[in-house]
Amino acid sequence: MKTPVNSIFLNSTFLNRTFSMGMLLSFSITIYLSLITTVVQAEIKSSHQSGTVSFSGQHAGMNFEGKFERWQATLNLPPQSKPNIIATFHMSSAKTGDSIYDSTLPEFDWFDVENHALGTFVSTKIETTEEGYQVLGDLTIKNIAQPVSFMLIDNQDKLNANFGINRLDYKIGWESDPDADWVSKTISISMVINK
Amino acid sequence: MTTSTQRYHSLSIVLHWAIGLALLFMFASGLYMVNADISKADQYRLFQIHKASGVLVLWALILRVGTRLVTRSPALPDALSQQQVFKAKLGHIFLYIALVTMPLSGWLMVSASPFGLPTFVFVDWINWPHIPGVARNKSIETLANNVHWITATLLGTLIAGHVSAVVWHNKKHDINLISRMWWNKK
Repeated sequence: MKTPVNSIFLNSTFLNRTFSMGMLLSFSITIYLSLITTVVQAEIKSSHQSGTVSFSGQHAGMNFEGKFERWQATLNLPPQSKPNIIATFHMSSAKTGDSIYDSTLPEFDWFDVENHALGTFVSTKIETTEEGYQVLGDLTIKNIAQPVSFMLIDNQDKLNANFGINRLDYKIGWESDPDADWVSKTISISMVINK
Repeated sequence: MTTSTQRYHSLSIVLHWAIGLALLFMFASGLYMVNADISKADQYRLFQIHKASGVLVLWALILRVGTRLVTRSPALPDALSQQQVFKAKLGHIFLYIALVTMPLSGWLMVSASPFGLPTFVFVDWINWPHIPGVARNKSIETLANNVHWITATLLGTLIAGHVSAVVWHNKKHDINLISRMWWNKK
């Protein structure tokens, strides 16, 4: 049976139109998704390779500073529907550059890395503020969870946070120096996360 | 009597005077770091230096005793009475006991300390180990602390007696004992 010429023409036009519609639809979806990811920030994965988690305090009246050389964090920030931050840091990777401190920190009374290899932070609430985000969450060290809150400041390509913890809340140096005669009670934590 | 038995072995002589100087530093630093009104930072630094120096003194003492055992010691001068010789030997035995007790009690104290701070012997690659089984044992730390201080007092007295005996014999009997612990010209 011979196919009429106009029928071929019609079919060809129909196919072209269908193809064009498909292209347009997929292009629109791509644009839409791009817009969504631009407006709603994608999940941020950070680690010691791209950011810094450091700590500082005083010992014998002298300032000391160290950092965790192994940690990972995943950040889902507002306006995402379920914003959250989860971070894990390897306690044995805490280094100050001072041999005495670095030998002492892993011990039972300090970080007790043998029994508690990991420290974690899990957010419970994240709110957008003018400067960035107000974060509430639980910081767990030596299997002791304590609530902490901090401002996560949005500096375009970086996120910064600074907050203090009371080391005795985590039984860090509990036996060695419970009255903070030598090591300050407050230990400052500082984070720099590259987006 | 041969020349070699008129004085102690050269290594013994070197160690004797080196340990003598080290003890002066250990006494001074020990008293200063505990009693002086200094900053926490200086006190902490001095503790670490005192600990590291104590390890060196212990090594020197081990070497000193080893050298003493394998080398010939010069005989005491004939002019000394039997009683004086007995007292001299007894004094030396107590000296050695006190000398060894000092770093050992210090080591035990550091090992049992609740701080648990390591002892680096002036360089990061020499980490003197703690005595096992006593970590964070307050009772043992207190005991070792008392032994350290009592022995320090006894050692100070023994050293004073040791030096006084040398001076006394020199002045009173014209016996030059110090030549046994130095390089003679003969």
